[in-house]
Amino acid sequence: MQPMASPSAPRATPPAERPAGDRELVHRARRGDPAAREALARRCRRAAYLLAVQLLRDPDAAQDLAQDAVLSFFASLGRFRAGRPIEPWLFAIVRNRARDLARRRRARPTESLERPEDEPPRRVIDAAPGPEADTARRELQALLWRALGTLPEPQREILVLRDYQDLSYEEIARVLDVPLGTVMSRLHRARRAARTAVERERGLAATIARLGLGAALGEAAPGAD
Amino acid sequence: MSERLQTPAPAPCGRRFPEELLSGYLDRALTQGERQRVRVHLEDCAACRDLLGELAALRETAMTTEFLIPADDQWDERPRGGLSRVLRGGGWLVVIGWLAAISGFAAWQIATAPESLFEKLLIFGGASGGALLFLSVLVDRLRALPGDRYRRVEK
Repeated sequence: MQPMASPSAPRATPPAERPAGDRELVHRARRGDPAAREALARRCRRAAYLLAVQLLRDPDAAQDLAQDAVLSFFASLGRFRAGRPIEPWLFAIVRNRARDLARRRRARPTESLERPEDEPPRRVIDAAPGPEADTARRELQALLWRALGTLPEPQREILVLRDYQDLSYEEIARVLDVPLGTVMSRLHRARRAARTAVERERGLAATIARLGLGAALGEAAPGAD
Repeated sequence: MSERLQTPAPAPCGRRFPEELLSGYLDRALTQGERQRVRVHLEDCAACRDLLGELAALRETAMTTEFLIPADDQWDERPRGGLSRVLRGGGWLVVIGWLAAISGFAAWQIATAPESLFEKLLIFGGASGGALLFLSVLVDRLRALPGDRYRRVEK
């Protein structure tokens, strides 16, 4: 199954555009309003999927995990304080399940035969004018995505939560269950590691291109769609 | 915020400056005093300015990456509502009670029937064999239930 293939699939909602009215939605869902439950499920599974795919880098596994996480979220809806944002609660579930899955995969490495995605399953915001800038942006996005896959799990988690999901330090502390004071230092270490990994990936990609191995190695060249 | 100040990472410039403040500066997560300290440091530290620029570029790169999400029709399950779960649980209780009553009544009828013992054993054997088969399937399903991720899903 390749769930990412549909070009008509909706885009992720940028964090700055998170829909308002979550409190009302949660209230109505708790009262059993089917429309509210459906809307809440739709909202949660998109957010859960996005984080899961960023952590797992495997769209199929991410969809399963997101579905599972949303069911857990609904099962614990009674304990959820309606005034609080949904993301930290939901993301903590996703993160814990992603960790469980990674642990199971390490214990049974043959469980998944698919290799992680070399390219982020994404479209690119057309923020930079001109095709050259757009190409450079795509290349950097691909490099960062591959670099992310080389980071240790804790560093990948905090980097995804801050730089991909745009969570605040307080929200990150809640999701990771760490003191607020450790978020900045841990995040900075992760960013330094990502920067080093991007440089390494850039060097590797340049070497591959120089040696003409890109075609032999399939779609590993950066920026390839 | 005390931890980060107690164990500062070495800055790229080699000066005594807690480097993680650069991330806090980038994320607008510093106090006014910390911001001022970073600004003063950046004014005459090209290495930290470069590092900050690179970290900002990586953050912007991550922020502008958009991911495709499976379309709504690829998520055909929705969480079962509370009322639905209560009704289903109640339904199971009624069915189990009904089965127990029917089984007890049937057993009593067989026991008190005027037929011979051989005939009673034939009827009882067939009925209890069917019941045991049904129970084995039921037990297997109940054992598999905790691992069934779709048990709280309605299609």
